[in-house]
Amino acid sequence: MNYFPWLTIIVFLPISAGSLLFFLPHKGNKLIKWYTICICIFELLLTTYAFCYHFRLDDPLIQLAEDYKWINFFDFYWRLGIDGLSIGPILLTGFITTLATLAAWPVTRDSRLFHFLMLAMYSGQIGSFSSRDLLLFFIMWEFELIPVYLLLSMWGGKKRLYSATKFILYTAGGSVFLLIGVLGLGLYGSNEPTLNFETLANQSYPVALEIIFYIGFLIAFAVKSPIIPLHTWLPDTHGEAHYSTCMLLAGILLKMGAYGLVRINMELLPHAHSIFSPWLIIVGTMQIIYAASTSLGQRNLKKRIAYSSVSHMGFIIIGIGSITDTGLNGAILQIISHGFIGAALFFLAGTSYDRMRLVYLDEMGGMAVSIPKIFTMFSILSMASLALPGMSGFVAELIVFFGIITSQKYFLMPKILITFVMAIGMILTPIYSLSMSRQMFYGYKLFNAPSSYFFDSGPRELFVSISIFIPVIGIGIYPDLVLSLSGEKVETILYNYFYR
Amino acid sequence: MEHTYQYAWVIPLLPLPVIMSMGFGLFLIPTATKNLRRIWAFPSILLLSIALIFSVHLSIQQINGSSIYQYLWSWTINNDFSLEFGYLIDPLTSIMLILITTVGILVLIYSDDYMSHDEGYLRFFVYISFFNTAMLGLVTSSNLIQIYFFWELVGMCSYLLIGFWFTRPIAASACQKAFVTNRVGDFGLLLGILGSLEFRDLFKIANNWIPNNGVNSLLTTLCAFLLFLGAVAKSAQFPLHVWLPDAMEGPTPISALIHAATMVAAGIFLLARLLPLFISLPLIMSTITLFLGATLALAQRDIKRSLAYSTMSQLGYMMLALGMGSYQAALFHLITHAYSKALLFLGSGSIIHSMEPLVGYSPDKSQNMVLMGGLRKYVPITRTTFLCGTLSLCGIPPLACFWSKDEILSNSWLYSPFFGIIASFTAGLTAFYMFRIYLLTFDGYLRVHFQNYSSTKEGSFSTPFGAKNTFVYPHETGNTMLFPLLILQLFTLFVGSIGIHFDNEIKGNGISELTILSKWLTPSINFFQESSNSSINSYEFITNAISSVSLAILGLFIAYIFYGSTYSFFQNLNFLNSLVKGNPKKNFLDEVKKKIYSWSYNRGYIDVFYTRVFILGIRRLAELTYFFDKGVIDGITNGVGLAGFCIGEEIKYVGGGRISSYLFFFLCYVSLFLFVFP
Repeated sequence: MNYFPWLTIIVFLPISAGSLLFFLPHKGNKLIKWYTICICIFELLLTTYAFCYHFRLDDPLIQLAEDYKWINFFDFYWRLGIDGLSIGPILLTGFITTLATLAAWPVTRDSRLFHFLMLAMYSGQIGSFSSRDLLLFFIMWEFELIPVYLLLSMWGGKKRLYSATKFILYTAGGSVFLLIGVLGLGLYGSNEPTLNFETLANQSYPVALEIIFYIGFLIAFAVKSPIIPLHTWLPDTHGEAHYSTCMLLAGILLKMGAYGLVRINMELLPHAHSIFSPWLIIVGTMQIIYAASTSLGQRNLKKRIAYSSVSHMGFIIIGIGSITDTGLNGAILQIISHGFIGAALFFLAGTSYDRMRLVYLDEMGGMAVSIPKIFTMFSILSMASLALPGMSGFVAELIVFFGIITSQKYFLMPKILITFVMAIGMILTPIYSLSMSRQMFYGYKLFNAPSSYFFDSGPRELFVSISIFIPVIGIGIYPDLVLSLSGEKVETILYNYFYR
Repeated sequence: MEHTYQYAWVIPLLPLPVIMSMGFGLFLIPTATKNLRRIWAFPSILLLSIALIFSVHLSIQQINGSSIYQYLWSWTINNDFSLEFGYLIDPLTSIMLILITTVGILVLIYSDDYMSHDEGYLRFFVYISFFNTAMLGLVTSSNLIQIYFFWELVGMCSYLLIGFWFTRPIAASACQKAFVTNRVGDFGLLLGILGSLEFRDLFKIANNWIPNNGVNSLLTTLCAFLLFLGAVAKSAQFPLHVWLPDAMEGPTPISALIHAATMVAAGIFLLARLLPLFISLPLIMSTITLFLGATLALAQRDIKRSLAYSTMSQLGYMMLALGMGSYQAALFHLITHAYSKALLFLGSGSIIHSMEPLVGYSPDKSQNMVLMGGLRKYVPITRTTFLCGTLSLCGIPPLACFWSKDEILSNSWLYSPFFGIIASFTAGLTAFYMFRIYLLTFDGYLRVHFQNYSSTKEGSFSTPFGAKNTFVYPHETGNTMLFPLLILQLFTLFVGSIGIHFDNEIKGNGISELTILSKWLTPSINFFQESSNSSINSYEFITNAISSVSLAILGLFIAYIFYGSTYSFFQNLNFLNSLVKGNPKKNFLDEVKKKIYSWSYNRGYIDVFYTRVFILGIRRLAELTYFFDKGVIDGITNGVGLAGFCIGEEIKYVGGGRISSYLFFFLCYVSLFLFVFP
C-alpha cells in the first residue's frame, strides 16, 4: 500500500479549487460554470480512480486510511478512511453533486458564490462520509450545514428565509445532541479522550449510559434522516430551495442521517441498538404510512416529492432496525437507490417548474403534449419511485422486506404485522406518485400561462436525467453492483450482534 | 432435443432489441425515428414470429416427450440470501407461450392498421412489444419472485397502454385506477411470497408445494389467500374487478391483447402454477364474479365495456374450474376464450373504426351501441367473424368455447349442484348478452342518424329519417385489419379440437389420455390430480352438451325477442328507449326489468360504493394527516420558534438599559428576600 494521501486530496480538492473561483477574472458566468463542472468531474474521476485501484472489496477493514495528529493537547487526529459502508455514499456524492452543478446551469445571480458553496458542500459531504474520527465527523457534519443554509436563504423561493431559519435551527438543535454524544463517547472511561472509531467500536459501556448516548445520536440523525416527528424542516426546505440544492439535499444530505445511524448507532453502540431496534422498526413503519398519506394531501409539487422521500426513508430505518444481514444490505441499497431517484425527481420537478412557473398541482395539467421528454422521464422515475421491478427501488425494498421477515430477533406475529403495514405503503405510493404525474401531465387543460408553448428539455437536461436513470436501471437489473461493495462490511457489523 | 430447451431463455428477450432501439430513437432522435414509422412494425412482428416458432417447437416436444425443464442463474448472491433468475418450461408454460405469441402477432398486425393514423404509433409499438416481453417473461419464470417481477411490469404496460391517449381525462383516471387496483393485488401477492419465505423453501415453485398439516397450516392458508388476492386483482375477480371495464379506455388492440387474452389470464396462470395450494379457495369469489360479470354486461351501452364484463365473467368460469380442481378444463377454457375474445375485441375495433368517421372520435359515441345497428350490410366480413366469436362464446357446438365451457359445466354439476346451477344459468345469460351485443350492432337499421335520440331528451322517434345531412355510411376496414380477424376466426373454429374426446379412440383406461390437450398436460395432471374424475363416456357427454346448448339457445332466443329486428323493430326501440330514459311504467314486470337494467347499467353500484368509501376515505385520511402534520407537528416546531422569539423580545425589553428599572427590580427582589427570609 502506498501512502499517497488520496482521501485528503479528495476531501480538500473541491473546496480549495472552489476558493480559486473568487480570483477568476470577471468574464461572465460561463467561465465559472465550466470551471466548477470541470472540478466536479475531475473530482469524481479522481475518486473513482482511487477507489478502483486502491480499494479491495473483499477486505472489510478500513482502507486508504490516513492518520495525522492535528491538535496535540487533546488527541485530535485527522483520521480518514473508507470501508464498504462509506464507499457507496461517497461515489453517490460525487455523482449527484456533479449532476447538480450541471442542473444549476440556469442560476445566474451571484453564480460565483453559488458554485463555491456547491463545491464547499461537496467537500463537507465527502469529509463526513470518510472521516474515521468522531470529532472530525462532527466537524464535517456541521461544516456542510453552512453552505446549505446559504444556498437556501439566497437562492430559494418566496419563503426562503423562513425555511432556511427552520432548517438551520432544526439541524443545529440536532447537532447539540450529536455533540453531547460525541463528547460523552470520547471522554468516557479513560483519562485521554478516545475519538477513534476502531477503538470505540470495541469499547463497552454500562447499559444506561449506552442508552443515553444512543438517544442523543438518534435525535441528531433523526433530524437529518428525517424520522418522524422531526421531519417538518424537510418539506419546507425542499419546497423553497432551488432544484439543484434539492438534488443535493434529497440525494445526499438525507443519506447522511442514515449513514450516521449505521456508522455510529449500530457499530459503536450495539447493545443499545438491539434494545432500540423494535422501536426503530415501528417508527419506520409508521413513517412509511404517515408520510405517504401526508404526501397525498399536499398541493405543492415539490413538497409532495419531499414527503415521498420521507416515506422512502422509512424503509432504510426498518432495514437498519431489522438487525439482519439482508435488512442492512437493503437499507444501504435503499440509501443509494433513493439518492438517485429522489434527486432525479426533484430535478424533473424543477425543470418543469422552470417552464410552467406553477407550484400547485391542481393548477397544472396537460403538459405531456408540449414537453414529451420530461413527461417520459418523469413517468419512468415516478415508476422507479413506486418500486417498479427492474428499477433500483424495487430491489432495495424487496431486500428490506426479506430482512424483516427473516429476522431472528422478532416473533412471528409482530413480523407479520409489520410487513403487512409496510406493504400498505406499497399501495399508497402509486396513489400519490401516479396522481402527481397525472395532474401534471395528463389531460388537456390549458392553464393561464403567458405562453402555451414550452421548450422540451434540451441536451443538458436530457443528459442529467439520463445519467441518473442509467444507474437506477443498472442497480435494478444487477443489484450486486452495490451489494458487492457493502456485503463484507455489513457482515462485520452484524458479527458484533451475534458473537459478543 | 435439449437445444431448444437450452435456448428457451431467448423467447422473452426476443422483442427487446426492437423496444430498445425504438424507445431510444423516440427519446433521442424523435423526428428521424418517426419518419421510419411503419417500417418499425416489421421487425417487431418478425421477432415475435421467431418467438412463436420457438414456442411451437417447445410445445411439440412437450406433447411428445413432456418433460419439465428448468434452468437457473443466480441474480444476486449474498451471504444470507440469494435471488435467482431462470426459466421453467413445462406444459402450462408452453400453452401460454403459444397463446401469447399467436394473439400478440395478430394484434400487432392489426394495430399496424388500426393505429396507423395515430400520432403515437411508435410509442404504441414500444409499449405493446414491451408488454409481450414482460408477459413472455411472466409465463416462463421459474420462481415466485420472478413472477412478481414480471407481474408488475405487465401491470405497468397495462397502465401505460390504458393511458395511451393521455389527453383524455377519463383515460388518465382509468389508468391510475387500473394500476392502483392491481397494486392492491400485488400487495397480496408480495405478502404471500414473503409469507411463503417464512416457513418454506423460497425458490421452489410450488409444484410440489402441498400444504403441510403442521403448525403453520393457518399461515399456509393466509399465504394462499394473499397470493390469491394477486390473482384476483389481475384477473379482475369480484372485489377488485372495477379496473377492467375502465381499462377499455385504451386502444382496442390493447383490449384484445392485454385485457382479454393474455394479461388477465395471468391470474389464472398463477393459480394453475400453484394449484394444490388453491383448491376450493377461489370457488366463492369466482362464482360471484361469473354471475356478476354476466349481469353487469346485460345493459352496457358501450360495446367494449360489455365485452369487458363478459371477459370478467368468463375468467370467473376459469377460476371456478380451478377451484374445483379441474385443471384441464380451466386451461382449455383459457385457450378457447382467449381466441374468441380476441376475435370479438378486434371485431369491435373494426366496427369502431368504421363508425368513427360517422359519429366522431369520442369513445362515448363511436363505441356506443345505441348509435350502431344494421352494420351487417356495411361490414360483412367483420360481421361474419363477430358472429362466429359471439356464437363461440355463447357455447354453440362446433365452435371453440362450447367444448371448454361444456367441460366446466359438467364438472361443476359433478362437484356441487349449487355451482352447477349458477354456472348453467350464467351460461344462459352469456348467450343473452352476447347476442344482444351482436343484434344491437349488426341487426336492424343504422341508428346514427337519429341524432335527436341521443342528444336531446325527447324520447320518441317521430322524425327518424328527417335528417338533412347527406348520410355517410360505414365502410369495411382494410385488409390488414381483416386478416387477423380471419385467422382468429380459424382459431375459434378449430381450437376446440385439441380438447375434444374422439369417441372412436376411447377404450378402457382410467385417465382419458386421448385429447391433445390432456396429452399435453399429462405431467401436470398427474402431478395435481390424483384421481381424475373425467372418465367421460359419450352418453354423459351428449346429455351434458344438450343441456348446455339448449340453455345457450334459450338465451339467444330471448335476446332475439328483445332486440331482434324482424320482431317489431319499433317496439324494440320503445323498449330500449324506456330503459335508457327510465319512463315510469305501471307494469310490475317492467319495474323489475328497469331495476335490473339500472343496476346493471350503473355497474351494480360497486364503483360508486368504492368511490364513496375508499377514495373519499383515503382523501379524508390525507387531509387529516396533512392538517395533523401542518397543525400539530409543524405547529409545535413553529411554536417553539415563536416562543423563543417572544422570550427574546421580553428579555430585550427587560434588558433595556435603564438604570431606574434595574434599581426597581433590585429593590423588589431585596424586599422579597427580606419578607421571605426574615
